[in-house]
Amino acid sequence: MSERKITLEYNDKVIRQFMLAAIIWGVVGMLVGMLVASQLNYWRLNFNLPWLTFGRLRPLHTNAVIFAFVGNMMFAGVYYSTQRLVKARLASNFLSTLHFWGWQLIIVGAAITLPLGFSRGKEYAELIWPIDIAVAFIWVVFAVNFFWTLARRHERSLYVAIWFYIATIITVALLYIVNHLSIPTSLLHSYPMFGGVQDALVEWWYGHNAVAFFLTTPILGIMYYFLPKAAERPVYSYRLSVIHFWSLVFVYIWAGPHHLLNTALPSWLQSLGVIFSLMLWAPSWGGMLNGLFTLRSAWDKLRTDPVLKFFGAAVTFYGMATFEGPLLSIKSVNALAHYSDWIIAHVHGGALGWNGFMAAGMFYWLAPRLWNRPLHSQALANLHFWLGTAGILIYVSALWTAGITQGFMLNATTDNGTVLAYPNFLETLTTIRPMMLFRVVGGGLYFVGWLLLVYNIYRTIRGAQAVNGTIEVFITDDDKDADERLGLGGAFFSPPVVFAVVGTLCACSWLFGGDLLKLAGLFGTITAVILAWVHFEACKNKWGDWYDRLLVNVMPFTVLTFIAVAVGGLIQIIPTVIVNRAENVEDRRQTPYTPLELAGRDLYVSEGCYNCHSQMIRTLVPDVLRYGDYSRLGESIYDHPFQWGSRRIGPDLAREGSKYPNIWHYRHMEDPRSVSAGSNMPNYPWLLTDKTDVADLPAKLAVQRMLGVPYPQWTEAQIVENVAQQENAIVADLRTAGADAAPDHQIIAIIAYLQKLGKFEPVPAITTTAR
Amino acid sequence: MKPNDPLPPEDELRHHTYDGIQEYDKRLPNWWLLTFYGTIVFAIFYWLVTQHFPSSTDASRLQAEMARIDAAKMASSTAALDDATLWKMSRNAVVLEAGKATYKATCASCHNEALTGGIGPNLIDKIWIHGGRPTEVLAVVTNGVLAKGMPSWGPVLGAQKVSEVAAYIMSFQELPK
Repeated sequence: MSERKITLEYNDKVIRQFMLAAIIWGVVGMLVGMLVASQLNYWRLNFNLPWLTFGRLRPLHTNAVIFAFVGNMMFAGVYYSTQRLVKARLASNFLSTLHFWGWQLIIVGAAITLPLGFSRGKEYAELIWPIDIAVAFIWVVFAVNFFWTLARRHERSLYVAIWFYIATIITVALLYIVNHLSIPTSLLHSYPMFGGVQDALVEWWYGHNAVAFFLTTPILGIMYYFLPKAAERPVYSYRLSVIHFWSLVFVYIWAGPHHLLNTALPSWLQSLGVIFSLMLWAPSWGGMLNGLFTLRSAWDKLRTDPVLKFFGAAVTFYGMATFEGPLLSIKSVNALAHYSDWIIAHVHGGALGWNGFMAAGMFYWLAPRLWNRPLHSQALANLHFWLGTAGILIYVSALWTAGITQGFMLNATTDNGTVLAYPNFLETLTTIRPMMLFRVVGGGLYFVGWLLLVYNIYRTIRGAQAVNGTIEVFITDDDKDADERLGLGGAFFSPPVVFAVVGTLCACSWLFGGDLLKLAGLFGTITAVILAWVHFEACKNKWGDWYDRLLVNVMPFTVLTFIAVAVGGLIQIIPTVIVNRAENVEDRRQTPYTPLELAGRDLYVSEGCYNCHSQMIRTLVPDVLRYGDYSRLGESIYDHPFQWGSRRIGPDLAREGSKYPNIWHYRHMEDPRSVSAGSNMPNYPWLLTDKTDVADLPAKLAVQRMLGVPYPQWTEAQIVENVAQQENAIVADLRTAGADAAPDHQIIAIIAYLQKLGKFEPVPAITTTAR
Repeated sequence: MKPNDPLPPEDELRHHTYDGIQEYDKRLPNWWLLTFYGTIVFAIFYWLVTQHFPSSTDASRLQAEMARIDAAKMASSTAALDDATLWKMSRNAVVLEAGKATYKATCASCHNEALTGGIGPNLIDKIWIHGGRPTEVLAVVTNGVLAKGMPSWGPVLGAQKVSEVAAYIMSFQELPK
């Protein structure tokens, strides 16, 4: 046996790079957020310029905050803590550098393409396909660099933070790839593989779990490292870490359908969304408890140390948001809150409170250590904290009030419940205007706080010498791992895994089986739980020892995590995707778009209309009274991407077709206020002058046909002829109404599309059940 | 860890430390466990109620409620307004104030605030495309002229508001001799 001592130098350069990038992109993301929030009150701030309209900038705001700000912050935190927790330098300098610069290049690409209107039309998944491939590639670089570092570790046992990082890396890869499956029509445009309800389900499986595995799990890992470090206290409970990690990653993935409650989504999926969201409450709070209780014996430090103030508040906001989430997932609460500002308040409690404050605390803690100089000003950091906290509270209370007020107004009826009390949508919007102003004030305070951080960090590191951490490790040449190696067999054929798998299988046959299977499944689930409990009480140490051994085996741990997160998605998505979609339509099937209407739809997607307008009339009386008959599954089956929307800043458009004459839409696009006094919609003058892209239509129709939309085999000439006919009809109609428009202008295509919305053909009931 | 920190005696630290981070292994708080178990029990009941023994679906509940609303609307519309009543309403200040407000919010975007027309036809001249009797105007407002882009406002605004709007429009016309 030989043992020698070596000194390792951590790769802290890339940490400094990611940290500074996060700080700068934070400024950009928040600045765009302030602009789009102000546009809601002052439509003139859209400047009549295509690339400055709300519909294009709102995706820029969300993408910048999620992927640029939190993304870079996460990479900094993950790389810093992982190196120290596993006692190894990042495996590859090249991959680390590639990861950093690749990610920044992607962000720049997004910042250019989104304002130019290149969009896939799915929330938080707007980036066009070449950039999607780059994101997937850089994520793989991250994964390789991370797991390679784990392979070279000198600390064999994996700390809880690493568990969360592993879950993050594999799950984000899975979600991102599935939700971005597309077929390109050109270098800059593609149609998503899934359509209608399938696309809706996949999108919110992704959207919900982007929150879970991009904004939550990596930040929990960061909390588990930086919070006990800063507090100099032991973590509260290891067993709580174990329970809440596994329950969180298993339960979280199922909750996506709560974004689609009361819609045309099949009932069983809605029920799964509700119950898993409620079951998520305790696992989420497990993370909060472990954070807060770790601070328990360090309350006195909270008074003086801004870092701990930020961490303590961040964990508290995390607790608030994860209580609010299950609450919003109850169908009756959701009927009021969905499509309203309450949801915006909810996500900003998480983004500003949890992500933003964790970032601030981490940066204030890291800067002195990475540049070897004390923080320039504790007082400024404290001021930042109080400005930020006040900003968040103003922001969320303003939008809570706005959302609940507008929700109640939209749902209010008179005349014994037969008539809407506020039939004019704009009346409800005008009422919440003051609240929308307060949210800008709150956001502004938060932003000023962030500028203080920028200044404080700048003064701290200006002229300072960057330092890289080092550690001494002992290397032995003999294979110490041999006795602790589990292998996949040892990982799977262990009591906890066997009981969990059998229990889950039984529970699934109870949930989805036929009559006999259902009973057997319920009986089997109960038996599995009881047996597991008895076995656990009898051989507690065995379970604990097995888990200790699992923690020194990266591969089995990763595989088990992958299975835990994959189950929920597979069970929800596969039946919806393989079901015969021509039959799964309820009693209606959408009439496919004509080529011109399709071109108009692409404009609708590109302008980001879905950021303010939904196309989904829910199975709720106020929705039906206001917008017409409720939307059926079949009415959007050919929509690639689906455009059900998530927020109604304007009214729903599912049955907009034929509601108003063509000239109404013409005037409305030119200047919305000329026909809707008090509207906050931007003007779209360029639609009246820019030309419709007809040359791409043959390629687009070919892809649509490939995706199963029943288009005939038209030649290019036939397509052009078809387009011209429809254009001329609309132009003629506009002319009699007093507007001169050229047939090849975009306004004609968008009118054609809007007038098509809600057109369907009745289908005799074949199968109306989704299961 | 400072050695003089008071610690409850039952607290034992796990022997493993990671970059100086230690961990307690405290038992899970009872209220937390109860919350967790409670939500699981609720989930089982919720699934049973909504999936195994559903008494209705979202769509069937909605359809039943809409049937009730339609019935109520039909019942209230049997007391049909005649021309005489509408003419009387068209000279009633309270009715006109309400009618004007609804008109401004709903109709003015196409017919102009001064009723002189725009996207929709002029309402203040003597030309009536669909008939100029108060009940005919009321019918157009209520049911719309869908082919020409006039929405049907009856279902949206309700019988009262629609009749007020019709009365407001008729207030610009001379009373019949």
